[in-house]
Amino acid sequence: MSDVVIAIADTSKKYRGGVEALRGVSLQVPSGGIFGLLGPNGAGKSTLVKILTSIVRPTHCVGTMLGAPIGHKPTLARIGYLPEHARFPEYLKGGEVIRYVAGLAGISHADAGKKADQLLEMVGMQDWGKHKMGTYSKGMKQRIGLAQALVNDPEIVFLDEPTDGVDPQGRLEMRHLLQRMRDEGRTVFINSHLLGELEMICDSVAIMDKGEIVEQGSIAQLTEKSRRYELTTRGPISEGLLGRLEEQGVKIRRGAGQDLMSVYGSDPKPIQPILDALRGESVTIVELRELRQSLEELFMESVGNGGVGGSQKGATPPELPRREALK
Amino acid sequence: MRQVFTILWDSYRLLAAKKLFWIALFLTVLIALMYASVGFTPEGISMLFGAYEIKNDIIVEGSMFADYFYMMIFTDYLVPWWLGLFALVLALISVCPVFPDFLKTGSIDIAISKPMSRVTLFLVKYLGSLFFVGIQVLVFCVIVFIAHKVRLDVWNFEIFWAVLLLTFVFSLIYSVAVLVAVLTKSTLFSLLVALLAWAVTLSMQWTESLMYKATYVLPAAGISIDVETGGTNISNQKLDANADMERFYDIVKKVCIPLPKTRDATYLLKKKVSVRGKDMTMMSAFLEDQPSAGELREAKAMEAYDNRHSIAYIVGSSLGFEVFILGIACWVFVRKDF
Repeated sequence: MSDVVIAIADTSKKYRGGVEALRGVSLQVPSGGIFGLLGPNGAGKSTLVKILTSIVRPTHCVGTMLGAPIGHKPTLARIGYLPEHARFPEYLKGGEVIRYVAGLAGISHADAGKKADQLLEMVGMQDWGKHKMGTYSKGMKQRIGLAQALVNDPEIVFLDEPTDGVDPQGRLEMRHLLQRMRDEGRTVFINSHLLGELEMICDSVAIMDKGEIVEQGSIAQLTEKSRRYELTTRGPISEGLLGRLEEQGVKIRRGAGQDLMSVYGSDPKPIQPILDALRGESVTIVELRELRQSLEELFMESVGNGGVGGSQKGATPPELPRREALK
Repeated sequence: MRQVFTILWDSYRLLAAKKLFWIALFLTVLIALMYASVGFTPEGISMLFGAYEIKNDIIVEGSMFADYFYMMIFTDYLVPWWLGLFALVLALISVCPVFPDFLKTGSIDIAISKPMSRVTLFLVKYLGSLFFVGIQVLVFCVIVFIAHKVRLDVWNFEIFWAVLLLTFVFSLIYSVAVLVAVLTKSTLFSLLVALLAWAVTLSMQWTESLMYKATYVLPAAGISIDVETGGTNISNQKLDANADMERFYDIVKKVCIPLPKTRDATYLLKKKVSVRGKDMTMMSAFLEDQPSAGELREAKAMEAYDNRHSIAYIVGSSLGFEVFILGIACWVFVRKDF
């Protein structure tokens, strides 16, 4: 299992007052990719990250991170962390924040200086490194936050809602930075609500709800069951053909002047005889598309759409999901 | 070590970013310069670098009394009142937000997620906060040290005991603020509780001090007070202490044992600094030639008063209090989920 950087099982956390934030979470994070942890507010995402980074003590946790038990202090030298709503001392300048965090990580003064300059340039803040944090916008603070998370050259970078409050341009730049981190061989662990963004960059995801992992795997794996071909024809097809197709498992919805047929699966072979049959009856085929669920649809399916506590695990997909063509 | 240095350096930068730090430092320097402006002439005492002169037959240039007087201003007025009270209150106001701010979500997370034990992080952060007082008193002492050389022609390194003692005194009060901060994350609450704890402990020390004077110093000086009439009787003989007063004093003293000795620790300076080889509690050594029996008895009684508590008792019991309070704070900090 050398490809797994985090492997935990049966992780639970019960806060004082009885709030059960995590309920037997088991999770595996593959090495060298971008891993997204999704979930509604209060699902336990931040608690899980805080347990992995030793900020919160688990009630129970079995597992390892980078080969060491969870909570092993020296291993923290190999991770970087940007917390949600990160606060940096307003009296420090951007470069000083990075050097300060480098110092906390035990990096020598000389190396910290060099690293700070490199990171400021990497996050596009080289012209702002000598300005105080108090003068920065939210997006600039997040960039500094990202830079400080990388100061110890970490193998895993934990980012808790890194694009929260960042404008679209900043988000785009953040995505590029994350992809760059992945290209450098780091494992990036992101907590986020922004499903569209995660879908663009994540290699694998886990979905949490009410303190439990409800789905886990690569996006391709998780959306596999929803992969299908959709075929739209103009004009109603004959009842005889309709019956034959339905016998073959084709789902058909009849509409005004057109029919919509869905064939589930990623294999294009089963669609060929259907096409032949339609062409045989001279039916006009308007469109043929290969589709799968979007991450948002997967998320909504996994946690339900009732907000916090509205979990409907195992619920059937919505009747007419928003469709998205496979790239 | 690098991590420790980083936290300490950050503590300094945090203080340097506070206006109150510079205001307090300015006032400290001003008061120290006022002190340095006091000098001695063959006719008496000069003030404001010679702008004014007060004629005095005893306190004149080169006399032991001038040396004693100059040191006494430092040990009995400047240190207890400015450095030990007003500057300490300013320091407490300035430093109280350090832990609550540090403990805020988004701030503490980064420090705690680093490969450093929480105990080290907590203790170094605490020590770093003591810089405020340490720097202020050090600057003050440097000026006083130079003043002593200029005015009395003595390099008196014992003056620097004030840095250690006042930082220690501040640490006693600040430990209470830190405990409350760790428990509540509230700056205001931690400041108020620390000030309240300081007021309580000061009241107890004043009570103990007054009780000791009434029980032992006055009878030793031959003075007795008629509690019914309020009149004072002066005798030529040393009197015995009242047994009831002694019992009452013992109770007060026992109550004081677990409390931090902020006042007593400040006045420890009198035991640590000396003038012409004699520490400042040895009052009988600073009397005029051939003092009267009464003066000598009174001076001896005051000596006994100044030395009624050993250094081990003052420092030990205060340190015990600090270790206990900080121990709880540290335990909470280490076990807390942030």
